[in-house]
Formats: sequence, structure tokens, C-alpha cells
Amino acid sequence: MSSTQMLKGIIDGCVLAIIKNKEVYGYELAEKLEAYGFESFSEGTIYPMLMRMQREELVSATFKKSTAGPRRKYYSLTQKGEKELQHFITRWEQLQQSVNQVLQNGVNSS
Amino acid sequence: MTNPQLSKKSHKFLEDLHAYLFANGKKFEEIKDITNELEMHLLEAEKNGKPIEKIVGNSPAEYMEMISEEMDMDVSGWFKYILLIIVGSFTFRVFSDVLKGELAYSVFEIVGHVANSILFIVLVFASMKFVAKRQISDTKAIIMLTPVMSIPVAVFVAILYFNDRIDSPMIHFGETGTWLVVALSAILIIGMTLWAKTSILIVVLLLLVLPEYLLSFTSLQLEMQLLISLLITYGGIALYLWLVFRKEK
Repeated sequence: MSSTQMLKGIIDGCVLAIIKNKEVYGYELAEKLEAYGFESFSEGTIYPMLMRMQREELVSATFKKSTAGPRRKYYSLTQKGEKELQHFITRWEQLQQSVNQVLQNGVNSS
Repeated sequence: MTNPQLSKKSHKFLEDLHAYLFANGKKFEEIKDITNELEMHLLEAEKNGKPIEKIVGNSPAEYMEMISEEMDMDVSGWFKYILLIIVGSFTFRVFSDVLKGELAYSVFEIVGHVANSILFIVLVFASMKFVAKRQISDTKAIIMLTPVMSIPVAVFVAILYFNDRIDSPMIHFGETGTWLVVALSAILIIGMTLWAKTSILIVVLLLLVLPEYLLSFTSLQLEMQLLISLLITYGGIALYLWLVFRKEK
């Protein structure tokens, strides 16, 4: 499995976590993801993702004036989004634990 | 109109994305939203020295598809537009025919016209999708699509040709029916002109109908009348488009 494929499932949760901290606009979100080390993805993929999240009512969007030019679309987390983030955290912790155990056993037995 | 600070490549991508989503029947408002958002993103990315590939990936076509899949189709909106195109194009025939007398059309002609309008719409949308997805330049697109778009013209000529040779029931509108159809057509043309805020429909209609009608009162030979009216029609349309283009520029 390529790192891009692995990333797809995880990035959703990370996007929710970033939005939960502070409402963000698209470019800001891409920059934050990059700063956290997600560099291999195309920045534009966040938009179809945000569209889906909006349809699933995980995030909501509002337009705000910006000093840089036209209005920016800011995303914030909904209650449903917060619940989804909690589910993701639980799933991630379980997965992380399982992977760590497998890897540790692999290292110990080799 | 995209931001002039944007690179040519990004500008072309946004234009193509707009056309692709439009041809896929997406809602205008949503198309505007996503293209605006991407324009802002590309602008900021370019200021920070990022290439467009960092944003849309190596395949703009795949990216366009990804966005399109997340958007809803505007079924009722598009049904209205398609209906307007079919009915609207028939109104042009109505005005030119009514000057020759009461309206009467064969069932073959009406069905043929509706089918040809649908063929025209399908070809326009398929061509738009094809060109936008492959980011083909305007000149190349015109060269490639001219033969494709000639198909409805050929079908139109074929309908006219076979209409005289195929036995199909005629629908006579009578005096009242004729004026009713003309009145409805006029309302439609005026309505569409006001809605689209452009005089193109009325100008093209007048250029198509009036020269032939006015020349029929002259003592010129029929062939000469047709030739002159064709020249006025196409010359007039070309002049009008040139004037509009110059004004917009």
C-alpha cells in the first residue's frame, strides 16, 4: 500500500481535528497539514473532502471578508463533526495499539 | 473573470473546471463557490512559489472528476434550460414562417426538430466536457469540434429535405392558433432577453427574419433575394458579435 493510500483514511480525522481547534479557510488548512508533515498529498484534494464533509454535516462553512481580497470561506466543526472526531480518535488509538504490538513482536522475535 | 495576478496555467485550469462542471449539470452557485475558493487558493500558493501541480496533482482531469463527484446535479434547473433551448430555437422558425402565412407543420418536422435540438444539446455538453477535461486550447478546440457541431446542421438540412418527401400528418394552427403561437414566442423571446440581459436573441431574430421578408417586396430575382438576405443576415450577426466583443474588451 502506498503512503498516499494509507493517508486517505487518516487525513479525514486530522482535518476534523485541525478544524476543531480553530475555524480555518482552505489554504490555511492545507498549510497546517503540511506543517504537520503531510507533504505528499495534492493540496486541492482538501476541497472535495470538505465538500463531502459539508454534505455529511460534519463541518459548516461561513463566508468572511479578508484583507487579501475577496471573501474567504471558513470551515468550522459541527456537533456531528465533533462526534465523528471522537470516533476517529478511538479507532486511531486502537489501530495504533495493534500496529505497535505487531511491530514490537516482529522486532523481538527477529 | 479570474484574478489578473493568476498565472496563465491556473487561469486556464479554472476556466476548464468551470466548463467541465457546467457540462456535468452542476448547480451554478456551487460551481461559482468552488472555483472562487480554488482561485483564492491558487493565488496564495503562487505567491508562495508553489506550482499548480502541488494543488491539483499531476492529472487535472482526475481532479476535476473528484470535485464533480462531490457535487449534486441540478436536475430541475437543467430540465428548464433544455426545454428553453428546444422551444426557444423553434420560435425562430415561427417568426420567419408567420410572415409567409398561417402556421402549419408536419409531425415529422416537429419531432425531427425536437430530436435534433436534443442531439445538439448532447453534442455541446459532450464537447465541452471533452475539451475541458483535456485542457485543449481554444484554437485546437474549434478545429476539432467544427466537424462534430456540423452534425446537427446536416440533420437540420436532412429534415427539410425529407419533410417534402415523407408523408406525415400536418398540424394546421389556423388564424387564432397562429397568433397565439406568435404571441407566446414573442413573450418567450422577450422574457429570455430580459433574463439573460442581452439583446443577442432579438438582434439575431431580426437579422434572420427581416431581410428575407423585406426583400420579397422588391422586384429582384428570387435567387438574388436569397443571396442578399443571407449576406445581410450573416454579415449583420458578425458585425453585432464584433461590436459586443469590442465593447466587452
